[in-house]
Amino acid sequence: MSEETKTIESEIEEIKQPKEWQPAILGILCNWCSYAGADLAGSARLHYPESIRIVRVPCSGRVDPMFVLKGFQKGFDAVMVLGCHPGDCHYAKGNYYARRRIAMLQDLLETLGVPRERFHFEWVSASEGNRFAELMTEMTERIKKIGPFDGVTP
Amino acid sequence: MSDIETKIREEAKRALESGDVSLVIGWGAGSVPFKTTPIFIDKPEDAEKLVWNPACVNNLAVYLPKMASDKKIGIVAKPCDIRSIIALIQEKQVKRENLHIIGLGCGGVVDAGDLDNADFHLQDVTGLEWVADGLNVITTSGDHVIECGACLRDMCIICEKREPAIFDAKFGEAVEPQEGEVCALPELPDDRRKFWSEQFSKCIRCYACRQICPNCYCESCFADRIEPKWTAKKATPEESWMFHATRAMHLAGRCIGCGECERVCPVNIPIMQLEIEMAKIAKERYGYEPGDPDEEAPLLGQFKDADHDPGHHGG
Repeated sequence: MSEETKTIESEIEEIKQPKEWQPAILGILCNWCSYAGADLAGSARLHYPESIRIVRVPCSGRVDPMFVLKGFQKGFDAVMVLGCHPGDCHYAKGNYYARRRIAMLQDLLETLGVPRERFHFEWVSASEGNRFAELMTEMTERIKKIGPFDGVTP
Repeated sequence: MSDIETKIREEAKRALESGDVSLVIGWGAGSVPFKTTPIFIDKPEDAEKLVWNPACVNNLAVYLPKMASDKKIGIVAKPCDIRSIIALIQEKQVKRENLHIIGLGCGGVVDAGDLDNADFHLQDVTGLEWVADGLNVITTSGDHVIECGACLRDMCIICEKREPAIFDAKFGEAVEPQEGEVCALPELPDDRRKFWSEQFSKCIRCYACRQICPNCYCESCFADRIEPKWTAKKATPEESWMFHATRAMHLAGRCIGCGECERVCPVNIPIMQLEIEMAKIAKERYGYEPGDPDEEAPLLGQFKDADHDPGHHGG
């Protein structure tokens, strides 16, 4: 079991190799549940792909549909919105408003021809660190399968 | 039709004379016989200028948020215009007690551009009137009857609500909807994106759709914001996508489907397609119809515990 000796040349050669394509996923997370869930995944040292870029918002009710549209317009391969389970909202009912809004947004995206798989909305609580890590893996695999997004106006 | 026109004039005159209202908004004769223009009447004797004919397309509710804030005014309105008014009342942009609504039963209105057909020239048209089997175009070379499906605006063809929902005076009868279809979207997501890409690449960002829309009353529109800059002012397909997608979202569950945005679009973008889809879903999923006088708030300004849950994936 001899490990290959690393030299500066081999290191450079390795860096030069094109890496496997990683999707860029925009994640908009509620501060009280989903962001804490992501934090838990981190402190528990759970592994998940680094394809997600997280934006923290006070509540899923704060998620302006424009955030999601802007994400797609700027070329993200996928966008996720995560919030507290119904009944668990820190502000009592923010996620109920979000639920209708996001449901309508999903349909608008579909009407505009943005594939449904590229937008994901889910409830993730502060104790669901595992769920968060799983979700990131699932989402990354899903987007890898369908490939990069060719933009809102191809 | 002229009978209804007379009644509208009498009602407007009465309301102005009695001091019920200080102003009546209605349609007046346009610069050509197949068009009308919005007019604002504040003297009883001017009520004679009001007209009602198949070319009364403008949704006059667009003027209400600014004009009816501090005084009572009269407005002549088709059923779709009245749905706009109801939406404005729900959203507290205008008070019901500030309005005197002269409602009209409707059979749809006509987009003048669509009239241009082989049998006559637009410049020869001297008048329009509804007859039993369609639209009668009166020209200097004689009368031409066109089938409704061939001359009504798309939104009028699919319109199902032809009776005024609320009114203070009502004239005319609704005419049964016509059979007809509007253009359909491509099925596949990739094709849809290409379709919209082509459409939005035509957009010159004149914002006529926004200006004509009775529901677009924000004093500060996201499209005019510099910080944060939601959409750049340049008319690239991508930036125009952002404008139209956001506008569609802002109107989701609020658009009553008058189709004014599409009518005024100088480059003929089928803007209403987005709203037609959103309205279909709002009705199917939430049983919600914008402009319904029994609703107290817009679709996205309320919720139910048992709402459809897109965040629940059984995990």
